[in-house]
Amino acid sequence: MSARGRFSNLFYRPGARFALLALPGVLFVVLFLLIPIIAILIFSFWRTESYELHADWNVNNYAEVLGDGSYMVFLLRSFLTALIVSVVCLVYSWPVAYFIAKLGGRYRLLLILALAAPFFTGIILRLAALQAIMGPLGIVNMFMMDLGMEPIKFIMYTKVATGIGLFYLYAPFMVVALYLSLLNFNFRLLDVAKVNGAKPWRGFLEITWPLNWAGTAIGFILVFIPCLASSVTPHFLGGANGALYGLVLGEQFAETGTWAKGSAMGVILFIASFIVILIMWRTVNLRRSGFTGAGM
Amino acid sequence: MADVAIKIEGATRRFGSVTAVDQVTVEIEQDEFFALLGPSGSGKTTLLRIIAGLEIPDEGRVLINGEDVTHLPPYARGVGMVFQDFLLFPHKTVGENITFPLKMQGENKAHQAERLDWIVQLLRIDGLEKRYPSQLSGGQQQRVALARGLISRPVLLLLDEPLANLDRELRKEMEVEVRRYQIELGIPFVYVTHNQEEALTMSDRIAVMNEGKFDQIAPKLDIYTKPATPFVASFVGHSNRIDARIGSVNGGLARIDWNGLPLIVSCPADAGDGDNISYFIKCEHIEIQPDGSSVADSNENQLAGTLRDVIFKGQTADYIVVLENETEIVITDASGIPQVKAGDRVIVSWPAEAGNCFSADHV
Repeated sequence: MSARGRFSNLFYRPGARFALLALPGVLFVVLFLLIPIIAILIFSFWRTESYELHADWNVNNYAEVLGDGSYMVFLLRSFLTALIVSVVCLVYSWPVAYFIAKLGGRYRLLLILALAAPFFTGIILRLAALQAIMGPLGIVNMFMMDLGMEPIKFIMYTKVATGIGLFYLYAPFMVVALYLSLLNFNFRLLDVAKVNGAKPWRGFLEITWPLNWAGTAIGFILVFIPCLASSVTPHFLGGANGALYGLVLGEQFAETGTWAKGSAMGVILFIASFIVILIMWRTVNLRRSGFTGAGM
Repeated sequence: MADVAIKIEGATRRFGSVTAVDQVTVEIEQDEFFALLGPSGSGKTTLLRIIAGLEIPDEGRVLINGEDVTHLPPYARGVGMVFQDFLLFPHKTVGENITFPLKMQGENKAHQAERLDWIVQLLRIDGLEKRYPSQLSGGQQQRVALARGLISRPVLLLLDEPLANLDRELRKEMEVEVRRYQIELGIPFVYVTHNQEEALTMSDRIAVMNEGKFDQIAPKLDIYTKPATPFVASFVGHSNRIDARIGSVNGGLARIDWNGLPLIVSCPADAGDGDNISYFIKCEHIEIQPDGSSVADSNENQLAGTLRDVIFKGQTADYIVVLENETEIVITDASGIPQVKAGDRVIVSWPAEAGNCFSADHV
């Protein structure tokens, strides 16, 4: 038997085929998710001194991060920022996604691509562009001053500016998540609701919203988690008093060289993110989401 | 004449350059089972959606029980509707699906439960209330959709090909059941279908729709036996179509020449010597016999031919005969007529007054 024949025989053995098909995914998860997390977890119980990691096991990093109020303020601030940005994204994205899915017709794909257009450039460039719009010498305020009006102070290197930046960066994720959900939504169910006495808003609450809740929750997580960890955005737009948890975390690695403490902060962030995902997941009742792939 | 429940006056609905419903006028009575029969794309579903309020007609009016509802939104019309693919809410239980119209009307829970009990008994789906639609069989889903359409005691029920997705056995059963509910509830059912057997089985009257217009509105027997147009004649039942020219007319009967074969048929009132006609003879109205056997005198039309094939269909069979003018004719008769088999010489015959003849020059 030729080598080729032996290989295809191997491939047609159910067990081998399963392993071969599963391998790339497993490799990805192990290399890029499990190993880094385990490394961070280990480092968080070590100690850094003079930019070097020492493997003497202790919990001082956690004591410092959890005990020092300022870190918790950063975390809380990040949490609130992420929450507000996610909710704003949600309210904004629903009509956008609904419009594209329902009325986009043959331009649907084009419209979705238009949303993705900003991704063709890098995040730094996009944030610099926002600076050029909202900063003291930015377009908005130059225009205001030209008209003899006061500049708008609350968008100049403030938490609001960070929020606007985050909204700008992550709203497309929410729109795409909702769009994909609505793509699988049978809009004719709304005809049924209408004939059976539901006014449009009632039809939305009874039918559209619950049947797209899983997609909405995924969109929420896709926005919330990166916002919770955001570091570049507050760095560019947040100004002196706008530091967020992710920014401070980044500094442990990039500037102060306190890798162990940074790792501990990372573990705490990971746990916080995980709790949020867990809470969102609990709200998704697969039966009630109209999901039929659960084998129930 | 009973009370008129639905009145449609000159309703027209266009989609771009296509006129889906074209100047349709009809009255449907209070206790009537009314079928809209037509091929797909004939505008029957659009007409149904106009009655439901899901489409607003570009022209014309819709009246329900005397009230002009043309511009009333669907949720204010109080009609029930059953859709072809059931369209149950997948995230709601059977009970929640069925009571949805009552919930929208703001009925209290106790009353909802009471009505739910009534309708699940009527439709024999009790015990399924806690399940989800995906856990039901097709027939059960169909009954749930019917229950949802009927629970709020609508002023009328619209049905859009509700049995099209069921298998044959179940469809036969549901045809009888649906008719039973209509009689029991005493409200008009407007039933859209492309299946003539469904329409003929269930309805009182049938409107045959073609290209946005009604070709004929009549009691079902008339639709079958006295089609008003060539389209109705060809769409309802199984007919042989014969296009020919009239040789001579004599006392209501016309002698026609069909590719060299002489036939005698009842003459359309508006046709005379030399006119072109389309003649439809239903497959089951033709008799087939072995060559040489005696044919009843009442069958004025007698043609010889060769049996090409027999298509067995259970109780009946279709006999395909090639006539002497090389044209095929289909005869439906009891299966297993023992005297004939493929390749035999046969005689086909039918009376002059059978079939329907239309002037081809005036249609």
